[in-house]
Order: sequence, then C-alpha cells, then structure tokens
Amino acid sequence: MTVDVALGRRGIEKQKRRSLLIESSVVVGIALFLIFAMPALLSDFRLNLLGRFLALAIVALGMDLIWGYTGMLSLGHGVFFALGGYAIAMHVKLQIPADASSQLPDFMSLYGVTELPWFWQPFHSFGVALIAVVLIPTLLGTLLGFLVFRNRIRGVYFSILTQAATIVFFNFFNGQQKLFNGTNGLIDFKTILGATVSDRSTQLIFYILTILLLIVFYVLCRWLTSGRFGRLLIAIRDDESRVRFSGYDPTDFKVLVFAVSAALAGISGALYALQSQSISPRAMDIAFSIEMAIWVAVGGRASLSGAILGAVLVNFAKSILSEQFPEIWLFFQGGLFLIVVMVLPDGIVGWLKSSNFEKLLTLVGIRPQVATYPSLETDPDVQQEKESLGNKEL
Amino acid sequence: MKGKILETENLTVNFDGFKALNNLNFNMEVGELRVVIGPNGAGKTTFLDTITGKVQPTEGRVLFKGRNLRGVPEHQIVRLGIGRKFQTPRVYLNLTPRENLELACNRQKNVFATLFSRPPLSDRQQILSLLETIGLVSKADIAAGLLSHGEKQRLEIGMLVAQSPDLLLVDEPVAGLTDEETAQIGDLLLALAESHSILVIEHDMEFVRQIARKVTVLHEGSVLYEGTIEQVQNDPKVIEVYLGQKPSINAQQMKMIRIVAAMAWADGQLAPEEIDVMLVRLSQMFASDREQQKELQLELRNYIAANVAVDNLVAEIDSDAEREQLLKIAYDVIQSSARSPSEPVINEDEAAAYQQLVKMLNLPPEVVQRVEAKATQS
Repeated sequence: MTVDVALGRRGIEKQKRRSLLIESSVVVGIALFLIFAMPALLSDFRLNLLGRFLALAIVALGMDLIWGYTGMLSLGHGVFFALGGYAIAMHVKLQIPADASSQLPDFMSLYGVTELPWFWQPFHSFGVALIAVVLIPTLLGTLLGFLVFRNRIRGVYFSILTQAATIVFFNFFNGQQKLFNGTNGLIDFKTILGATVSDRSTQLIFYILTILLLIVFYVLCRWLTSGRFGRLLIAIRDDESRVRFSGYDPTDFKVLVFAVSAALAGISGALYALQSQSISPRAMDIAFSIEMAIWVAVGGRASLSGAILGAVLVNFAKSILSEQFPEIWLFFQGGLFLIVVMVLPDGIVGWLKSSNFEKLLTLVGIRPQVATYPSLETDPDVQQEKESLGNKEL
Repeated sequence: MKGKILETENLTVNFDGFKALNNLNFNMEVGELRVVIGPNGAGKTTFLDTITGKVQPTEGRVLFKGRNLRGVPEHQIVRLGIGRKFQTPRVYLNLTPRENLELACNRQKNVFATLFSRPPLSDRQQILSLLETIGLVSKADIAAGLLSHGEKQRLEIGMLVAQSPDLLLVDEPVAGLTDEETAQIGDLLLALAESHSILVIEHDMEFVRQIARKVTVLHEGSVLYEGTIEQVQNDPKVIEVYLGQKPSINAQQMKMIRIVAAMAWADGQLAPEEIDVMLVRLSQMFASDREQQKELQLELRNYIAANVAVDNLVAEIDSDAEREQLLKIAYDVIQSSARSPSEPVINEDEAAAYQQLVKMLNLPPEVVQRVEAKATQS
C-alpha cells in the first residue's frame, strides 16, 4: 500500500492495470479449469454438487454486496433465492407432453385442482420464466428496500425485519398445497426446452452455464464495488449520516444495491433448483438465510473472491461432514461461525490480505524484504522525499 | 449581491420539555465570518443540527438565502449549498484521502450519475490542489484511518471545501490540535472566508481572537450577546455565563483593566510584576477590605487578555472621574515595569503606549500632572 505512494499517480495507474490483468487471467484460468478439468476429475455426483455450490456462490456475491460492502445484514435472502427457484421450476413443471391425460402439473390433480391458476399461465413461456427469475426478486427487493431504507431502519432492526419477511413467505408457500405443493415444493422435474433435466449432458450444460454466469456476476460486482459507487457503498457502511452531509441520499444507493443483490439471489436460486431438480419452502427457512451470512463471513466480508470461496468451501465441508457424521454438522457449523467471528473477523481472504499474504510473497521473494526500521521504509513522507530527490537508495 | 445568507426566526427546539434552542433569532450576511461561542449545553451543536436538517425545529424557521428549510431532507440542504464539518473529524476511514475528497467533490450526486459517469478532469485537478492546500499529498493514497487527528481535521475541512458550499458550518475545528495546527486551521478558514460565508463554533478563545470579526454568544438556547470580540469579552453577562460567577466589578471597570493590560503588554511581555501591581491597585480601588481585595485579585486575573484594541475601549470610558482613575493605574503600572536593575525604570514601548493613552484620554494637562504627581508621592 505504502509502496504505491512512492510510485506516484501514474505508477499507481500502471500497477492497477497490471493487477487487473493478473486478476482476469486468474479468473479465466480458474473458469477453464472448472469447465474442462473438473468434469474429468470428479464423479457425476460430486460435479453436480460443485455446480450447485457455484450457484450458491452467486447468492453469496449478492450477500457480500449488501452486507460486506454496504453493511446491512440481510437475513431474508432465502426469499429471493426461493422466488427465483420457484419461477424456473414452475416453467419446468408446465412441460407436460401434449398427449398426457391432464394438462396440469402432477401435484395439482392430486389436490383436485381442475384449472391452472391464473399466475401459472405466463410460465408456459420460457422467456417469461427467465424474466420472472430476475424481475420478481428485483421488484420485491426494490419495494422492501424502499420502505425500509426510506424510514431509516438500520442495523439489527433491518436484520430482524428481513427475518420476519422470510417467515411470512415461508408460511405462505408452505401452506399453499394447491398452488405450490406446500411443504414438498416443486419436485420431479421432467424436461426443459425439450431436453431431459436429469440427463448427464443437460446437467453439464447447467454446470457450465453456472460457471459462466458466476463470472458475469463477479465482473458486475467488481464494477459496482470499484470506482466511486463502490467507495460510496463503503462510506455508507462506515458512516451513513456523514454521507448525507456530503450531499448524497443513501436511501437510493441502498435500494439499488438491495435490488441487485435480490436479483443475484433469484438467479442463484434458479440455477440451484435446476441442478438439484427441486425447490421447496425449505429454501425460505431462516436457517438457510443465516447460512448465507456464514459463507460470506468465512470467506471474508467486503471481498468478492472471499464470498465465492466461502460458499464453495463451507458447502463442501457441510456435504462431506454430513455424509460421515450426519449428527454433528450443525455443531460444526455453529463452531465455524464462532471461530470466524472471534479469530478471523475478516474471513479467510481478509486474513490472507492483512498480513500473511505479504509474508508469503516476501518468503517467495516476489516482494522486497523490509530490511531496516520498518516505519522509515514505509513512511509515506519519507518515500515522497526520496522520490522528489530522485535518490532511490537514500 | 449582498443579503442575508442565513436567518432564523423564533427558533425553538424542544427535546421532551428541555428547550435546547429557545426563541433563537440569528442572522448572517453573505460573505460574513461569524463565530458562535457559548458554554457547554448552550445549544450550539443543536443550532447546527437544526440548520442542516438533522433536527426539525419545534417552532420557528430557518431561512437559507430566503428559503425556508423546514422539511427539506439533509442531503438536499447540502446540495443547496450548506456544508458542515463535525466536531470530531468524520472522514471515511477505510477510504484514502483522495477517495474521500473524490466523493465530496462529485457534482452529480444521484445514484446513476455516480455509477455511470466518469469523474471529469476538472474534479481530479481540484482534488490535487486541495490535497496540496491541506498538506496531504504524500498520504493521498493510504487509508484515512492511518492519519493523525490533525490530518483528519484538515481532510474534513478539505472535503467541506470540495463540496464548494456557499455557507460553511464548522463545529470546533481546533479541538485537540497543537498551537501550530490551530494557527494553520485559522489561516485556512481566513483564506476560505474570502469567498465563502462561514459560521464557526469554537471554545478556544485564542483561536476566536485570531479569526473573529463578529461573535455571537449563545446561552440556554438563545442569543445572549452579539458584538466584536472585545465587546464580548468585556460584557459582564458573558463573563458571568462563562466563569459561572457574577463579576464584582462593572463593565466600565472591566474596560479599564483591559486598557491597562494592553498598555503593559506594549513591550510584547506582560511581566508578573506588572500584573501584580495592576491587580493590587485595582482591587484597592474597587474593594474596601483585605479579604475582598484578595478575592478580587484572583478574579481579575481571568480578565486580563492580550492584544486588545485600545482605541474603542478608551472611547467608551466617558466620565472624567473614570478617566482620571484609569490614568492613575496606567501611570502606576508604567512605573513598576522595571524588572531588573539594568533596565531603565520606564520601558520605552510602554512609555509610548502610555503617552498615546494620555492623548486618547484627552484630559486637561493640569489634571494629568496632578495625577502623576500624586502617584509618584505615594
């Protein structure tokens, strides 16, 4: 950080461009590895899990945006996630062969529904379903955000409010057997766009699609969080009322970020539903929304790579541990959260960034070792003086 | 165009029965540098809160350039042209000074402009020159959380300027700063006053003397006194409010003390001997018994201040008896100024100041001679 100062403005731009180049090549490298190497390395079952977790990483990005950067802990992202999942699942459930005896989704005839409810009608169209995946969570997020943020509800009160919203939606979807098959949710997916959902090739397409979308949204979030807009989000997180006295209306910014993160949750839910071939009200369970916060906390708040890493790592740990010792997973999860809060408040990525990554680089020899009294070598005033004297060695 | 930039009419703010502001009537001209002082709990910060929309007045109204600010949200008030600096420096600690200034400097503050438009070149240049003004060039790209207290104060003033407001509200800008930093901030504010209207809230009287032209004293939510710094410091009501006790001498006597102190200060030093003589003479003059005299001496010590503009004060002492009294003390003080055997009995600077005082007092020469003779005898 302090080295940057000595380089001057132009040097910083140059360094920025270089680190951007490094970052994009790392992203492309990881993507290629995931797309081409992973299917060969992992069993179908594990690959499907990885695909699902990468889908969850998208909602983790949204969570990081709203919590890590803007400082609002939403415990209701499960709602947006589930809405996205239900939107795509409704389309899939309407893929009924033309010669079938009933043109209704299978569960409806069980409950004696004779006519398709009006709001199911548009979901015959794949395009409408795709739009609904994004638009329904976005609109709900905008509305909720506007009402909450305009009234300056913040902090714990915001978290509690989002939890209350989760309960409302959970009870609604859980109770409507005729509309949404209640507790069981929408299961037993058949076809989508003519392809069988459970086919290996279809699932591989979903897997690749998930990776590509994850990259798109990573780039989107990078764009949002760098530049003036991103700095303003951090400013809102650190001192919201000061932002007002700088002439900005934080409400607008918070509503926008909340809506974007809701949209990400919706898309994530749709991808997850397609790969797990089901969506149920359990996605609106409060515990699931809290888990999202845990992924971000473990990976590192206010770090996009941290959010992705956290989502994938925690979920793999969860699946492996619950296979081996099904009864202890919950304890492990609680313990993990405690450890992160107490030992690694900035998560894994934050811990690497803060000091240890530098140490590692020094060990490997990429970064010059600080040899003398450190504060002299890293003091910005001293560095600038050196620079202006043109005497690099002092 | 000259006019009122800020007016308040019967402003009252009621916090559950406690009137933080009570029928406050205040106004400020365009281009004015005004200092508001007042003891703790006088309502100074509430006053700023009300102007900036953080607190809505219970009664009355605030007019900015003739526009009523009731119901206008904070960020709109800022965009109208009122900038505020908080008491403790409030900068964004996780951003660098450059980024802090960039956020403040942004002209279009709605969501989409902030997201999509690139900051224009003029903004960058303004930020650079601001960084130079506040002396943070070398630390422009480290997190603001690593800056010292004084640097944060300067950064926040820089952020305020970056907003280019018409009216700057500055809340205790020199709290916790060294003398040198205080003087720097004072110069910065004076430079800004060339092109802005500024309202400063401050406790530090030395600093107030450096920058103030007109001072308003708040007490219990209303204006107690308004005037120049000299008038304020001589006003018994103000002194009572500040020192918590009623002065036992009246305003005229207070002025005499100041004039004499200023004269004794003419050589750039106020020797302890001079103070003692002054205090002894004055206490003898204004109190009868010894105990009272001692108490009065202690009290008077608080009132002695440097750099007082004598001319105005002298003009205000109009009765002949008082003028004679003043001359007498002044002569005594001059006589006592020799601090070491090698110094001449009468210090030249002080003598000159004394001569000037005599001229200003405009007493008949025979009276002057009589007073001097009498003083020498005793």
